[in-house]
Amino acid sequence: MTSVAGRVRAAFDAWGGPLVSRIVAALFGGYALAALASVAVLALPMSKPQAVLTGEMASFVIYAAAVIWVFAVRSALRAWAGLLVVAAPLLLAAWSVW
Amino acid sequence: MIHLSSFILCLTGFAALAVAMDRPQHDLFGRALPAPATVALRVGGAASLLGALGLLVAWQGWGLGLVMFSGHTSLGAGVVHGALIARGRRAARSN
Amino acid sequence: MGSPSVTTDQQARPDGRGLRQSMSDLHTWVGLLLGWVLYAMFLTGTVSYFKDELSQWMRPELPALSGVPDQALVAQRVADELVALVPGSPQWSLRLPDARNNSVYAFWRTAGAAPGQRGFGEGNFDPATGRTVSSRATLGGDFFYRFHFQFHYMPVVWGRWIAGIAAMFMLVAIVSGVITHKKIFVDFFTFRWGKGQRSWLDAHNALSVFGLPFHAMITYTGLVTLMALYMPWGQQAGIKTAEDRRQLNAELSAFIQPGKPSGEKAPLASIEDMVRQAQERWGRDGVGRVTATHPGDAAARVAVARGDGGRVSMSPQYLEFEGTTGKLLAVHEGVGPAAETRGVLYALHLGRFSDSVTRWLYFLVSLAGTAMVGTGLVMWTVKRRQKLPDPARPHIGFHVVERLNIASIAGLSVAMAAFLWANRLLPETLADRANWEIHGFFIVWALTLLHGVLRPAKKAWVEQLWLAAALLALLPVLNAATTQRPLWRSLADGDWVFAGMDLMCWALAALHAVLAVRTLRHQPKTRPARKAVNKPAGAAVLREG
Repeated sequence: MTSVAGRVRAAFDAWGGPLVSRIVAALFGGYALAALASVAVLALPMSKPQAVLTGEMASFVIYAAAVIWVFAVRSALRAWAGLLVVAAPLLLAAWSVW
Repeated sequence: MIHLSSFILCLTGFAALAVAMDRPQHDLFGRALPAPATVALRVGGAASLLGALGLLVAWQGWGLGLVMFSGHTSLGAGVVHGALIARGRRAARSN
Repeated sequence: MGSPSVTTDQQARPDGRGLRQSMSDLHTWVGLLLGWVLYAMFLTGTVSYFKDELSQWMRPELPALSGVPDQALVAQRVADELVALVPGSPQWSLRLPDARNNSVYAFWRTAGAAPGQRGFGEGNFDPATGRTVSSRATLGGDFFYRFHFQFHYMPVVWGRWIAGIAAMFMLVAIVSGVITHKKIFVDFFTFRWGKGQRSWLDAHNALSVFGLPFHAMITYTGLVTLMALYMPWGQQAGIKTAEDRRQLNAELSAFIQPGKPSGEKAPLASIEDMVRQAQERWGRDGVGRVTATHPGDAAARVAVARGDGGRVSMSPQYLEFEGTTGKLLAVHEGVGPAAETRGVLYALHLGRFSDSVTRWLYFLVSLAGTAMVGTGLVMWTVKRRQKLPDPARPHIGFHVVERLNIASIAGLSVAMAAFLWANRLLPETLADRANWEIHGFFIVWALTLLHGVLRPAKKAWVEQLWLAAALLALLPVLNAATTQRPLWRSLADGDWVFAGMDLMCWALAALHAVLAVRTLRHQPKTRPARKAVNKPAGAAVLREG
């Protein structure tokens, strides 16, 4: 089983898999994280319009930071892991207000 | 008028800060300036920039003042940098 | 997931490359991918700081503005005209003349527009008579302004999404650029020009560093101007009722939304008196806009909003009146902290609060930003040319980038100048004239691309730069020949919009001429073959002397 996984892995790497994975993480993962944050802000104790605007304004900073993170860390796996770690609490907060 | 004085303050401020650094000192004077002179240039330059900021903020408030300050510093630094390059090139040509 | 997978991943991206290298790669590719779009956005955005002046120049029939007319009188005049022109319109809104606008721009919702029909109309009105201005049909400076964030020949929303994606790429390019080159900030003035470094890189760095606060600000605030489109999720989750929506809208805009008409006819009270009250509060020239909902109906409302001058915020400030009696219903002068922040960011992007010196600062630094994007694009080819196995026959990717650079940098200058030529040359009776000015812009732009593809790269650069210089240099001549406002007269009359435009054209023509001469003289120097390069004869390296 390891050898099959290993071969899949090798093929993945040979075809630029880690790079593609990072690009997907940056483009879509980053946007998802930013969008999630912009919803999660609604859980903060402020009026709805102010929270909505705060979330919208903050989202682009979060998006940019996520993209930088994805390309700054050592591996594509870490990049995804980092996004997920931040997404988890945001998801909880967003869940509570949706 | 206030625009002009702020711009001049930014220009002199950046010029002083530039001359306070090692390489421009070697290029301009052929040697390093004594340490006290360098410190004085650095303090003077910073004070000049702060003066421009103070002038603009006192005139137009923080919002507009900061915007104007940002424009004047960008332009001032660009002019100083351009002048150093022009001087460097002329020096290189005359050698 | 065992450890082997982690190791293979790390092998694909060895540790030795480091943060700086990954950020440098990110900067290069993010910058290149949408670089051409960004260059066009930057340049058309830069000239949009003089959008109102450009609009005045493109409507030479309208007399130069000598002082701002009394806004209260103008508002009444144009309101009367609108009541007659679009009776039963559920909403109209007019922008009053100010120091930079010699006409009143108004738009209205058309009454009973069927679904799918375009329910809006717009027009420019003469402040002196209140009538529709009788000038050539043109979009004026608004063309560059709109192109700058929504492009053309495509649905507005698509264009705005493209602009948003480009802006997001720009934001990432700025941050990754700063991380890559953070040393520059520490000792900037010790940075050496053209010594062991390629001067393209130096120019790119200098332009980036000096304008950095502006570049970062303008990119981020650009995203903020359209953030509700790009990030609608918070609004969808949090704003559910009509009352929520009304509250949010009140935080963002001074446009009051039409409610339900009563069906009972009643004329509007004096708009002049309403604007007078606003003038008392914000100064004689401090009123920006008058919006009326259901004018002519008993349920009419009028909002008189503050202008953009002298205040670094676009957050709504307005007086709300009962339309039929003129009674002041409410004074809206403050919004919540987040809405105020948004208002400030929005204002910073548009720079409409600027006095003329600040406007020029905006223009110059923004031009530096344009040059930053342009040098970045050119640098991509300069750096890669050194690594080409045979510079005489580059691979297809290099070819594409090189040709696109020519059309999107030199070609855009030619096309923008051509747009202004079209404004002077197209006959006033031409059907759909305003659109033909725009078609002219795109036809010329497409021709520059064709020219760039057909000619050798360097010749194409030089020829297009010379063409742009010639078009710009001759524009004041064309203006003198086709209008009553040649340079000598505008100078004598103190007509600074026209005089400034003529002088600016010459300054820009000189800039293009300098670029053309430098490109022509530019000799790719042959550096002695380095270890890595095995073909000494072919190892031409672009280095400027």
